[in-house]
Amino acid sequence: MATANPIPDDTSIATHATADLVVFVTAMAAEEFKGTLANLEATFPAESIIVSTQNALPADFQTPLRIVPLPQTNPLWMLKASDFVAAAQCGLEHEAKAILILGPGADSLSPLSLRRLAEAVLTASIDLVVPHYSIAAHAGLINSAILYPLTRAAFASRVRFPLSIDLGLSTRMAERLAAVAQRVPPFSQSETLLWPVNEAVAAGFTLEEVDVGARSLPQPSDPDVNSILALVTGSLFADLEAKAALWQRPRRAPLIRRPQAEPTASGGTADVPRMVAAFRLATANLQEIWSLVLSPNSLLMLKRCSVLEAAEFRMPDNLWARIVFDFLIAYRLRTINRGHLLGAMIPLYLAWVAGHINVTASGTPAERHIEAVAAAFEADKPYLVARWRWPDRFNS
Amino acid sequence: MQTLIANAAQQASQNISGIPAYSEDVSIWHQMSNALHQSIYRVLTLLIAVLPGILAFFVALVVFTVAGAAISSILRRTLTWIKLDLRIARKGGTDWSPSTSPTDIIARASFWICVVLGLIIGVSAFDTSYATGTALPISLLPYLTHAVGAALLLIAGIIIARFLARSVLISAVNAQLQYSRFLSLGVKWLVLVLTAAMVLDHLQVGGNVVELAFGILFGGIVLTLSLAVGLGSRDLVSRSLESRVEHTGERMHIPDEPANTSSSIRHF
Repeated sequence: MATANPIPDDTSIATHATADLVVFVTAMAAEEFKGTLANLEATFPAESIIVSTQNALPADFQTPLRIVPLPQTNPLWMLKASDFVAAAQCGLEHEAKAILILGPGADSLSPLSLRRLAEAVLTASIDLVVPHYSIAAHAGLINSAILYPLTRAAFASRVRFPLSIDLGLSTRMAERLAAVAQRVPPFSQSETLLWPVNEAVAAGFTLEEVDVGARSLPQPSDPDVNSILALVTGSLFADLEAKAALWQRPRRAPLIRRPQAEPTASGGTADVPRMVAAFRLATANLQEIWSLVLSPNSLLMLKRCSVLEAAEFRMPDNLWARIVFDFLIAYRLRTINRGHLLGAMIPLYLAWVAGHINVTASGTPAERHIEAVAAAFEADKPYLVARWRWPDRFNS
Repeated sequence: MQTLIANAAQQASQNISGIPAYSEDVSIWHQMSNALHQSIYRVLTLLIAVLPGILAFFVALVVFTVAGAAISSILRRTLTWIKLDLRIARKGGTDWSPSTSPTDIIARASFWICVVLGLIIGVSAFDTSYATGTALPISLLPYLTHAVGAALLLIAGIIIARFLARSVLISAVNAQLQYSRFLSLGVKWLVLVLTAAMVLDHLQVGGNVVELAFGILFGGIVLTLSLAVGLGSRDLVSRSLESRVEHTGERMHIPDEPANTSSSIRHF
């Protein structure tokens, strides 16, 4: 077992040094940190960057990089609000032009990906650079089902991973995110998610998506989908509630050509009967709660879905869009307790996942289906805006 | 001898006829009338004593409610005119829903503050006037205050019961328990039974019978559930405990994959 020593004394000079690029490495496992430093060494000249980190440098590891130690924290599966504050402070102290934030598992990012992320900010003067990961067909499903389509519909942003854990930031973008993070009460800093894409759109900053290939995504310490969905979706809903005046304005999403390479659909159909059974159970028991949130038309369509066989199960894209919009409206209106609301959404999400797996198993590429879902969200945005303004009536 | 008997009989008949036939009836009616008069007098005296208080209560409530409505309306118009919501939204970057806008909150708060103030002043006036009538024994008014407390208890109990029932229902459905509705109903009725017992106790109705009945009922339900869980889910509980013990040492690490999904599905 490698012993973790504090950062060597000679690196403390880096606190007074300046560099165009500051790399902020969040807390991660020792091996991951070593791998990340090795990749940084391979990507950038040692004198051109400063690495600011919450990790202890292993004793047997030598690096020419200038390292600024920060107070150590426990590794998390996401970027927390305090990370943005620390990153912005580092950037300010070292007079950086760009800040690269690398989350847990960043050792799986190739040197080329790191260079692309940094160069987009340094040379192309982009304020926010978000990576586009190549992930397995049935990975990142909450992102595919809710985060991406909803962010795209609301903010006309085509960023595929709005809750990315690696980011390239200009100094003004970092300062804005730090300002948002500082408004978060200290006791909830480690639980609050920030939405950089939404902030960039709100500030009118430029943002770009960079293809970085495959990356191992860290998973939450609590693997229960109930808590993850409630945390992530609740956070996005709250952010949308705070920025309602912004996203209600009509916007046109820019066209982005994504690589045609499709990850192959790998299994997952074994889980479909279980998820469909969970949906059926919820249909039988949660009608009373759903009827407070969903329109009668949606309820009828859900009942029709519930009688489908597991192998034939599909969740229509427009129905899913309408469901998410109705839950967002109910979240805003506090129709029922917000914890209950997000809990009641879980069986519907599992139903979407079951339908998505069936669609991909039938030969449709996963990305094509996800794009179709996102397009359905965009098409139904007028319904969201109308109900947001006049929430007392269901239009259909 | 016969003359003696005849004289005695005559005297007796004279005596009987000499007593007024309605004297007893008059006495009973008199007593009843007196009792009724005294009762009416007592009630009227009490009413006269507390009536100004009741009137004062309603007058204070109505006056302050009207004043509250007026203040609320003025505030709402003023704040809308100065565009307070827009200013706050610009400053804080927050959009407000119509029911939670700062203007609406301030207007509603001012209205309800006035209503509560009227209520306090009214109760105070009523209390003062009632204190003058306490010499007259009547148990209805103290009972009314208990009834108000009991009503509040009942409302709180119903709200808590609904909240807990919903929590249990959603959690059970997400845990894919087939008897989710049964569990939810069980929790709801447990809380409602507890509330009913508290309400009856607060009203001092039933005395020990209610406590005893509640104890038996509540204990019975808990025992039934314990037996059901203990006998029906013995294997499940033991497996769960075993797996917890086994995985205690692994909790410090971030797992690569969620435990409750297959290897090919990742929700995040």
